[in-house]
Amino acid sequence: MVTKKVAALVAAMGVLFVGQAALQYNTFPTWQKNYSPSSVGDIPSGLSQDQLLFALTGFRELVGGILWVRANSFFESGNYDAVVPIIRLVTWLDPRQIDVYSTGMWHVAYNFTDQEHRADRRYVPSALALGREGTLNNANTYELFFETGWLWYHRIEDDFENAIKWFEEANEREDILPARANILAQAFLRAGQPDKAIALFERQLEALEAEVEKDPTFGNRNLRDTVENNLDTNLVRMASRGWFASQRGESLQGYDTYPPFDVGFSARVTVVAPMVIRVQGTYGVQPLGTRIRFVLKDADMPNSVPGGMKWDSLDSFRLDPPTGITYVQDQLFIRNRRFDKTLDLSRDPTMYSFTADEYDVEFFYSPNVAPAHIQDKFGYNGEGFTDSNFLNTEVRPGQRVIYNKMTLTRDQIRRTGEWRDRVPVIQTPNFVAPSQGRPEDDVIRVPNLRADNQ
Amino acid sequence: MKAETSPASSLKTLGRTGFGQKIAVVLSIAKTTVEEAIRRRVLLVILLIGILFLVVAPGLNVLTARTQAAILSSFLLGILQLTGALIAIVLTVYLIPNEIERRTIYTILCKPVQRWQFLIGKYLGAVFALGMMMALMTVVMLLIFWLQSTQGLDFPPSRMMETVQVCAMYFVQMSLLAAVAMFFSTFVTPLVNFFLSGGVYLVGTLFNPYFDSISRAEGASAFAKAGATVVGTVIPNFANFNVQNTVINPGAEIANPTWYYVQITLYGLFYISILLVAAILIFDRREL
Repeated sequence: MVTKKVAALVAAMGVLFVGQAALQYNTFPTWQKNYSPSSVGDIPSGLSQDQLLFALTGFRELVGGILWVRANSFFESGNYDAVVPIIRLVTWLDPRQIDVYSTGMWHVAYNFTDQEHRADRRYVPSALALGREGTLNNANTYELFFETGWLWYHRIEDDFENAIKWFEEANEREDILPARANILAQAFLRAGQPDKAIALFERQLEALEAEVEKDPTFGNRNLRDTVENNLDTNLVRMASRGWFASQRGESLQGYDTYPPFDVGFSARVTVVAPMVIRVQGTYGVQPLGTRIRFVLKDADMPNSVPGGMKWDSLDSFRLDPPTGITYVQDQLFIRNRRFDKTLDLSRDPTMYSFTADEYDVEFFYSPNVAPAHIQDKFGYNGEGFTDSNFLNTEVRPGQRVIYNKMTLTRDQIRRTGEWRDRVPVIQTPNFVAPSQGRPEDDVIRVPNLRADNQ
Repeated sequence: MKAETSPASSLKTLGRTGFGQKIAVVLSIAKTTVEEAIRRRVLLVILLIGILFLVVAPGLNVLTARTQAAILSSFLLGILQLTGALIAIVLTVYLIPNEIERRTIYTILCKPVQRWQFLIGKYLGAVFALGMMMALMTVVMLLIFWLQSTQGLDFPPSRMMETVQVCAMYFVQMSLLAAVAMFFSTFVTPLVNFFLSGGVYLVGTLFNPYFDSISRAEGASAFAKAGATVVGTVIPNFANFNVQNTVINPGAEIANPTWYYVQITLYGLFYISILLVAAILIFDRREL
């Protein structure tokens, strides 16, 4: 009798066990779909947020908030390194913390600098990866799409197609602010696509006109006036730069961008002391506002592209940059048609380890990032400028840019071996010493009302 | 009056016969257990601390500028879950050992009360008591949400309803935890049971995401994945009931909430039944 009862209970247990297993087997995909971090895409799954002990009691978001407050105190005290792991932890704990993502991206991309406040751009791929992760976790709001686009637009200042891609994603979200939606138009302009900028301005103006009809408050009127002004200004610029003429296949003769101006680029790089580099050169543009990009990087650097690197090469956010790689990027400001800057790279061995045998020294200038008053002469994609030696149409397809690459060895940069007592100097064949100057008629004349009156 | 509420005297319904009589016995024991639980100071202290934390929670709004609702709901639900887990374990681990230690179990079992009736009655009583305490905390929590929403917190009534659903799932979760503790209490001491049940809760809570990681890991072998599947379908999976994401992050939605809730409730009931049957099998053979 007892045996029968036990057998019945064991059998019941068996049936229940199979039942619960079937239910669990059926439930898991649903759980996975709704609650797993991987449900939002290919976010790194090295450590799931729910695997953290905090998840046990459901305090994930709270702990994230407390950690972020702590991160703020680290930031205020200048302990930037301590902030990065907290950013990682907080976004794992609470992937909905939009402010942490956006602040974290900014912090990683902008705040790590050397002694001369030169940014450590090895962090930029990490910042982009963080932004991408943030957009996957917060796809319902425009903010992180915008912030990621802003990194491309402002920090990287290259490959504006990527900025456009992210800004367009942001503009598709309902909560996009009108003032921020405008930035997409600026990205179109930077990418040399003013027609798309105009189309966007027109759509915005139409929408804002309707909004002002409904609610004629100062804010709405101001927004409408801004867009209208942008539209008018850019139409004038497109006309004066010969954009419409070029679209019709007509000659640019008579327009501001004709004839193309030869900027006469030349450069010299001198290693004045171990890991201290002086960069000099010429660039025949008189108005202020021109910046030439200077890059010094390992010759065998992975994901290297001319004048930069493949910025979106990282799939996931990393706490540390690739420490064995040396990548220096700086801006050379043009004054009186010359540039002359000394970069002391000796004080930051963690940023500039100089462990490779050879280094590429690159100079890069794209009219796409020139200020408007210079673009008025150079055009949107460099159709109004040229250089008899270094004009390049290959490194950035569709653009006319200045690009030059030279090579330095580790011994030259470190002033070791045969270069211990010799000063390494590399220069372009056309480099002109400062004392010789350039004839006055080489100076670019930017057309504007004030110049005409003079 | 006191004699009427004691387990022994509550068995006056034994005059009935058959299945109804057996159920009446179970309910009598459950009723007595509820009354005992309400009188236990340690449980009341845990409940009081839980409610105290709930009340001070709105002060945490300073932690973040734009996610007050998320932080507050996360904290309140976390407190409710933690307090519920503590109550479930502390309440259950002592139920049978106390009866044995005080020898009151002999007076109950010498009546025509079978051991399974005693065990099921004790469990149901614990779950009733747990439900009352969790309901009280849920009411306090909803009150806090309502008060905060009158002061500008973005917490619409629809989220209040979702919060109630989440608390209901927590209740099923804690009932399962109580069943785990009840099962262990048939053969281990209360102290060991406390840590054992806590450990099972920990593993059961963490397993789903762990399994998720293994199933997605490129380097994991087929054997590891198969092993994870087997273990995942065998251990009590508490993570299934953690549905608070829908309240904390309004963007998160369950594709088919009704079916999901029904499914995991059934899962909980199945597992509770397994544990109780196993407990009965062990308790039946135990020397008292």
